[in-house]
Amino acid sequence: MRIFIFSQSIALISSSIVFPYYLLFIKNVGSSFAQFGLAYGLFTLTSALVHRWIGKTSDKVGSKVFLIIHAWGMAVAFITLPLVSSLLQVYMLQVFLGVLGAMQKTCEKSMLTEFTAGSKQGELIGNYHFWTTMCSALAVMGSGFLIDYLTIHAIFYVGSIFFLISGLMMFKVQQDSTKSLNN
Amino acid sequence: MRIKSNIAIILFLIGYGSFFLYSVSQEKTDSKSTISDVSGLMPVKVKRVVKGNEEKSFINTVKEANEKDLKVSIAGKMHSQGGHTYYEDAVVMDTTGYNEILKIDPEKKIVRVQSGATWDDIQQAINPYGLSIKVMQSQNIFTIGGSLSVNVHGRDIRNGSLIETVKSFRLLKPDGEVITVSRTENGEYFPLVIGGYGLFGMILDVEIELTNDELYQMRTKQMDYKDYPSYFKKNVKGNKNVRMHLARISTSPDSFLKDMYVTDYELAEKQEDLKNYNELKSDRGTWLTKPLLGLSRDFDWGKEMFWKLQNKYFEKKDGSYVSRNNSMRSESEFLEYKDEENTDILQEYFVPVDEFSSYIEDLRGILSEEEFNLVNITIRYVGHNEDAVLSFAKDDMFALVLLINQGIAEEDKKQTQKVVRKMIGVTLEHGGSYYLPYYSYPTKEQMKLAYPRTEEFFSMKRKLDPEERFVNMFYEEYGK
Repeated sequence: MRIFIFSQSIALISSSIVFPYYLLFIKNVGSSFAQFGLAYGLFTLTSALVHRWIGKTSDKVGSKVFLIIHAWGMAVAFITLPLVSSLLQVYMLQVFLGVLGAMQKTCEKSMLTEFTAGSKQGELIGNYHFWTTMCSALAVMGSGFLIDYLTIHAIFYVGSIFFLISGLMMFKVQQDSTKSLNN
Repeated sequence: MRIKSNIAIILFLIGYGSFFLYSVSQEKTDSKSTISDVSGLMPVKVKRVVKGNEEKSFINTVKEANEKDLKVSIAGKMHSQGGHTYYEDAVVMDTTGYNEILKIDPEKKIVRVQSGATWDDIQQAINPYGLSIKVMQSQNIFTIGGSLSVNVHGRDIRNGSLIETVKSFRLLKPDGEVITVSRTENGEYFPLVIGGYGLFGMILDVEIELTNDELYQMRTKQMDYKDYPSYFKKNVKGNKNVRMHLARISTSPDSFLKDMYVTDYELAEKQEDLKNYNELKSDRGTWLTKPLLGLSRDFDWGKEMFWKLQNKYFEKKDGSYVSRNNSMRSESEFLEYKDEENTDILQEYFVPVDEFSSYIEDLRGILSEEEFNLVNITIRYVGHNEDAVLSFAKDDMFALVLLINQGIAEEDKKQTQKVVRKMIGVTLEHGGSYYLPYYSYPTKEQMKLAYPRTEEFFSMKRKLDPEERFVNMFYEEYGK
């Protein structure tokens, strides 16, 4: 459980660092609100379309696999960002991020339920959200400060490395799960 | 199964790593679309920007401007900071697409290039011939046309101002006619156009002298500012093997305008080793220098840390080798600075070599009383040259380049103006001058004192361009 929290905290830190600036970034690439809306809609639409499939599949292969794919997929997506120059590339990236987002959403929940099954479920979920949200809050404030000194691209690179680490940690999760449940 | 997945993980990590490096190497800085120079202090609306890559399009633009009575400005990389490259409602001719290398003559050591070419373009073209530029800035991002219009100087202590290395150029005059200008042909234009801030027409292409690429060994030394002039005269100028020179003086509060270190580029003994060093390098290490410079903009401890780290870095470079071409390709990206409320500006002051110590003391006196964020100072040497009508090197001079961080609000500009005028006042008292490509802080009177031929310059402008076709914000401020 602890490693799971760690891994998801890092993932959340990374998203929180990058996304505010990511929005600014795609706004620069696109030229109208319509394009901006389309880009964002594409993300949500793909998420919606793959949710059911991911849910079903994760029951078979385990949610861990998807969380790793999500983390590493994000790591790759973030280093792709600085290379993006056309609107079409933004749309494609949004579709990719949509799929990854759906993986994370479903599998984070299913893994969390797995870990917290029992009488103290509320407390444990509260604990989980406390740590992950706390980390992301600090990260957002910290990155605002950092970006004054770094380029916007540097933020993407840092985010990418965070996701890489988050993915690596996920590998460790299952072995630990029985222990943490007993704690 | 386990081994398989481990291999998969490792393969992914390798793939990720290489893509990461690729992504970093492809990183490009965003281009800007509004008209303002790098300082961002004077944004202005222009009629339109004409980006040409043919002589004809520039000639047509000037002819059209004559027919419709429009003003014309000329822009290259727009690193001048006083609106020298644009004017309200003017047509701006952007030369950056007009950048071909027209001819390289390895025998005579001459290159002919179009004015929108950057020093980098020339370096790429002449490096294979073992040739090198005689005079240019320390950075290679500027266009030739822009550099000629401000008559630059650089680290080379044996060649002074750019004007010394120019054989001839072709000029698109305000009436649309194209003429060749050299010291002998149409000679009256020569000292006006070079260092002429784009007021006499557009330089189309130019022939400049080159020299051999050489291998230098870098020597770094720390010293007190009082010892610098005598060190320079004896060990730098007095040693004919020293070809280039650059010094720094501390802006850190603990050693403010006292500690210095100097780097001399001395001709290496084994010139045959040049082949091991002459591959052109590109900008590296900005990921470190950029945040460091950022910290020293904002905090005194940042300045202290930056100064110490610079010292360490240059000490480490002591004794290392560099080709002449590579020594003139230094980092500049880390100076790129984007902020909504603040901006970096430059100032450059020239002061006679013998006045240096007392000048630094006076400067320190002014700056210790004032609120002023001085981030960095570099010092170069430029020999006496008064070929251009607007010549800054009225004597053998040390040139101090000051990097200053300031707010863009009106009151911030006023504060900077107050301090800059004081600093220029002191500079003039010591028989010095200041460089013109920067923001219009100096008074008109100060310009006349620094450049005694100012009035002649502007009256020739009106004689050779009676319609005042070529104008810019600098002319608006000082020429009228």
